[in-house]
Amino acid sequence: MTVKWLYYWQPNVGGTMSSQTLFDAFKRIEALHGSKTFRWQITASQFRPNQRDSPVPPVDCARELWGVSFSEVPDKYFFALRQDHMVVEADATMQAIMEKLQVYRNRLTILFEGFQYELGDFHIKAGRAVLAHTENLRGIVLEVDYKPLSSVEQSRRVVEDFMKVLNKGVVTGQFIPLDPNFPEYSLPDLYSWQHTSLQYVTLMAHVLSQQRT
Amino acid sequence: MECVVQGILEAKHVDALEVLLQGLCGGLRETIKVHEICLKTGPNLGAVASEVHLCCSLSQPEPVWSVRHVGGAMRGAGAEQLPALVRPVLEAGISNNSLRFMHALGYKLDYEMLRTGFSFQMHKTVPIAVTITIAVTAIHRLPKTHSVDEAQPVTPNLHMVQLTAPASPDNYSDVVGAISGLAEYLAPLVHLSKPGVPAGVVPTASTAAAALISRGGITKVL
Repeated sequence: MTVKWLYYWQPNVGGTMSSQTLFDAFKRIEALHGSKTFRWQITASQFRPNQRDSPVPPVDCARELWGVSFSEVPDKYFFALRQDHMVVEADATMQAIMEKLQVYRNRLTILFEGFQYELGDFHIKAGRAVLAHTENLRGIVLEVDYKPLSSVEQSRRVVEDFMKVLNKGVVTGQFIPLDPNFPEYSLPDLYSWQHTSLQYVTLMAHVLSQQRT
Repeated sequence: MECVVQGILEAKHVDALEVLLQGLCGGLRETIKVHEICLKTGPNLGAVASEVHLCCSLSQPEPVWSVRHVGGAMRGAGAEQLPALVRPVLEAGISNNSLRFMHALGYKLDYEMLRTGFSFQMHKTVPIAVTITIAVTAIHRLPKTHSVDEAQPVTPNLHMVQLTAPASPDNYSDVVGAISGLAEYLAPLVHLSKPGVPAGVVPTASTAAAALISRGGITKVL
C-alpha cells in the first residue's frame, strides 16, 4: 500500500474557508493535468463512555474512542485511542458488536468526501469535512500519495515537494501537513490503512479543537 | 445467528468419532487450538453489563485474533421445542493488540481457557445449503494469567463435541433440522442436546467405537 499524506487547509489570519476554497483546489489540480477518477468518502466518529447509574464517570476506561471507515475498504473498521497511542484494525462487523455492547456512544461524526485525481505518479484526494447530517463545513483536506513508494520516510520528502508546487501562488492560505507521529502508535514504516485512519483521527481531533477555540 | 447442540464424549472414543466424521464429512480435518478470553465490563460502564469473548487461534504460524459476541438464546414455546439452541452471534477479526484495546475500553478479565482438538465441516442441502461445523475439543485451564504453555486439562477423560451452523431468521428451522439429522448419525457415540441441558455420555459408546475402529471408517454417507 502506498503512503498517503494528509493535508488540511489553513486560511491566512483573518481569512475564511468556504466551498470556493475546495473548488479552487480542484482547479489547481486540473491545471496540472490531474484527471478526476472517482468519488470517495471517509467517516470518522468520536465516541464517549456510556456510563450508568452514577454521575461519576467510570475511571478505568478511555475517555475518548475514535472510529474510522473508508469507502474503499468497506469490510474493515478502524479504532484509535489517542491517550493509549493505539490503532486497532477490525472487520466491519465489529461496529455491530460495539453497538450491541453499548459501552461507548457516538458523540459526533465527521464525513470527509470529495473526488480523487490522478496526476502522473500521484493520487490526490481533495474533499471537504462536514458534520454528519448537516452541511456545516469543518475543513478542506487533501490526501496525497506517491504510487511508487510504500515507505513512510522515503515518501515524506517527495510529497512535501509536490505540495510546494500545489501551494505555489496561493495567497489566501495554504495546505498544512499533519504530524500524526506513527512510531508513537507503534505503527511500522511499511504503510497500511491503520496509518491512514490515524491521520483522519488526528485531523478530526484538530478540527474539533479549532471549533472549541 | 447460529444453531448449536453439544455433548460430551469420553476421551477414549475420540479416535472413533474422528473416524466417523472422516467418513461423513470427507478429509477436511482442521486443528483447533484457541486461547479464549472472556471479558466483562467494569462497574458503571455501558448501558447494561456486557461480556465479550476474545479468541486467539494458535493453530496457524501467526496468532489470529477475533472478537465474538453471543446474545441471548431465542425464547418462546416454538424455540423450546426445537432440538437445537438458536442464538444471535457476531464475530469479527481484529488486530493482535485487541486485548490491550478491550482493557483500555474498560473490560476486565473474567476467565480464560485453552481449547484444543479438531473440527470437520459438513455441507448439506436440506432444502437450503447448510454448513455444519463439528468441533471436538478438550478444555484446559490456565494456572496463571495468559499462561497458555502451562495449560492443564479440566476434565482429562472428557471432550466436548459441538455442532454449530450459521442461520438467519428466515431459515433457522431448516438449519436446526440439518443439525438434528447429523446428531442422529453421531448418536451411537455422543448424545447431543442444547447447551445447558446435560445429556451425559452414551453407555454403549464402547461397542459403537470398537465397531468403527475395527471397520476403519464407514462407507455410509448422508
